Amino acid sequence: MNVNLRIAIADPSVIIRSGVEATLKRISSLRIYVDEISGADALYEYMKKHQPDVLIINPAFLGYYSLAMLKEECGCSRLKCVALLYAVAEHSLLKQYDDFITIYDSPEEIKNKIEKISNQYEVEKTEGEDELQTLSVREREIVVCVVKGLTNREIAEQLYLSAHTVITHRRNIARKLQIHSASGLTVYAIVNKLIELDDIKK
Amino acid sequence: MSDLICDNYPMLLVMSRFGISMGFGEKNIKEVCKSNNVDTCTFLTVVNFLLNDEHTDVDVARLSECFSMDALISYLQNSHTYFLDFRLPNIRRKLILAIETCPKDVAFVIQQFFDEYADEVFKHMQYEEKVVFPYVRGLLKGVKDSRYNISIFKKRHDQIEMKIIELKNLIIKYYPGKGSDLLNSVLFDIFSCEQELASHSIIEDHMFTPTIMELERKISTDHER
Repeated sequence: MNVNLRIAIADPSVIIRSGVEATLKRISSLRIYVDEISGADALYEYMKKHQPDVLIINPAFLGYYSLAMLKEECGCSRLKCVALLYAVAEHSLLKQYDDFITIYDSPEEIKNKIEKISNQYEVEKTEGEDELQTLSVREREIVVCVVKGLTNREIAEQLYLSAHTVITHRRNIARKLQIHSASGLTVYAIVNKLIELDDIKK
Repeated sequence: MSDLICDNYPMLLVMSRFGISMGFGEKNIKEVCKSNNVDTCTFLTVVNFLLNDEHTDVDVARLSECFSMDALISYLQNSHTYFLDFRLPNIRRKLILAIETCPKDVAFVIQQFFDEYADEVFKHMQYEEKVVFPYVRGLLKGVKDSRYNISIFKKRHDQIEMKIIELKNLIIKYYPGKGSDLLNSVLFDIFSCEQELASHSIIEDHMFTPTIMELERKISTDHER
């Protein structure tokens, strides 16, 4: 297997983080990039910016937030979450996670779990690829705004979104369509009849 | 010389930008360069650089012995003239003819996209002609304009071929009209123009800029003495 996986480890303890990282790196079948997150504050910023594939997280780390909220706010819907446990944990707590590893797991066990997660991730990613090409309704609205010459701030106001969300949408649009300029989006919008020529000329 | 061109036809462009015309018979590269008053070393450096697939900065120390910056600048200028006065207007003419049959609004935005692009390329190259080259000519005379240095150019020198790649993708993915031989031919032109622009940028980024940086370094150490 030759998968590139970006894994983030969120735990307050540097010893635990380094230990998990070292163990993961020993799993030779996967090509992985590991990032460490030491504080809850850094978590959101990191997730938004880097969008890892897998998050290995100490459940205590999340505080009052739920994983669902984290995934939605950071725009990483396909993120796989693995609980990192120091002790036996309640079942209901683990429900929202895709899997869990404990600090007493053997390398073999961890390897199996991570490989399973990686397989699931790959499968879902390929399933999602069809969706990748076409734009969502929201994204199309944003294309129209961009083509009309609105700034990100104006788009945010008009569609009742945060400026940050608009930027994320624009990044996704550019990725899906491989169009990076406003004039390129204009061609896209006209050809796909999202907008009339008269709307732009005004 | 004819072996070189026949084996690597993009070198035809390099040759003509150095001001060498065809009809050189059986002469070898050195003889052809000599009879056209072209610096053989610079010509070969450019050719070898383009033929070599790995594009890292040239070894400036080895280069400076015989390399002529004047010749390189005139090469780059001819290359600009080629894109601005020939290549892009030519593609534009063909493109407009090719999209004549598609809906008016689509033809309009495609043309608008192209014109914006051509204008960007013009500004990009104009900047080099008006700011960078005069600065370098000063350097060659040993005068360093303290208000400018080549790292400014290095930073703002963007990849001008990106946007034309976009146009090509737009046409291929979304073109609503019926395809035609002419449209295919325009696309082929765009593909090769993209390649030519990329080679042009490679020369600027990995040969021109490092050499100028070395020149700047030399002048400033001379001043300190």
